[in-house]
Amino acid sequence: MSRYETNVLLYRLKKDAAFRDRFRADPRQALAGADLSDEEREAFVRWDARKLNDLGGLLHLLISIPGLGSH
Amino acid sequence: MGRIVYAAAMSHVLYPDYYGQNVGPHGRRMVEELIAVVREMGRSLTAAAPDALVVIADDHLNVFSFDAIPALCVRVGRSVNRMIQDDAIEFDRALDGLPERYPVHEDLATSILERGVQAGFDFAASWSAPLDHAFLSPVSTLYGDRPVPPLVPFWVNCFVTPQPTAKRCFEAGRHIARVVADGPWTVAVIATGGLSHFPELSLARIGQSDPVFDRRIVKLMETGDHDAMTALTAKELHESGSHELLNWLVLLGAVSPARARVRFYGEMGRVDLAALEWDVA
Repeated sequence: MSRYETNVLLYRLKKDAAFRDRFRADPRQALAGADLSDEEREAFVRWDARKLNDLGGLLHLLISIPGLGSH
Repeated sequence: MGRIVYAAAMSHVLYPDYYGQNVGPHGRRMVEELIAVVREMGRSLTAAAPDALVVIADDHLNVFSFDAIPALCVRVGRSVNRMIQDDAIEFDRALDGLPERYPVHEDLATSILERGVQAGFDFAASWSAPLDHAFLSPVSTLYGDRPVPPLVPFWVNCFVTPQPTAKRCFEAGRHIARVVADGPWTVAVIATGGLSHFPELSLARIGQSDPVFDRRIVKLMETGDHDAMTALTAKELHESGSHELLNWLVLLGAVSPARARVRFYGEMGRVDLAALEWDVA
């Protein structure tokens, strides 16, 4: 499990609009160089926020990514 | 000799649309009642005419990146900007239309920082961190169109390692009180956030608060039982969703042994709301 990498990516999705656009267009490609487990990668690709939270993704990031965050 | 002339703590999402959208009419009404009370409190604060306003609040992984996360951080410099964020989430839409820049009380901020380090507090300093809703939603509600005094923003890291302990936060507040007492300024202190919400920081538990815990905490502050407050554990704060009480603990240290007066208390379900004042004059 790469909790640090998960949260760095969530933070980047929150703050970096260009990265966010690339992720929306092709999540698997946007995450190609990321050091994630298969489980984490799939949770990102499916945008399964609860799964990401269970895997250590920080709540305040998960709920605040423009266009993806939800309460 | 300086003194603290006003002290209060309050929830910090003072934005009816957020609650209307996420809780419904009941949530909207409750926060509108809280906002009316905070505006009244702002008249007392304005009448106290502080030279500086210390605002103790937390970062929502919004300001500090994973490059470094300070446990306790003093904002220094001469001014501080409002956070501007494209596609801001609901929390931060409350900042739309507010001034883009606020003055910092440089001498008080630097004194808290430098004397703190001498006293054994490993405070971080920031010259550039902007302010999000945790600071400006309460400040703008308290002051309305009136001029805001120079600020001393003080961050407490509430959600990720390294969080300071409740006792450490209280001690940091005692330190702030000593700096104020030794200086020439009249100072107001507010802490923001809470009450319980987002238990265990679990997405699955959004929508739950812990009213039993909140009633207990408010009673402890009313009775001035600061030993019980400083004994709160990280586990208790995490399980109840009371992470932001760490901000309030800094304020308690600054005003101790004063007792709190409850100006507003409401159990919404998703988050319990409160506004308290301390008799410091």
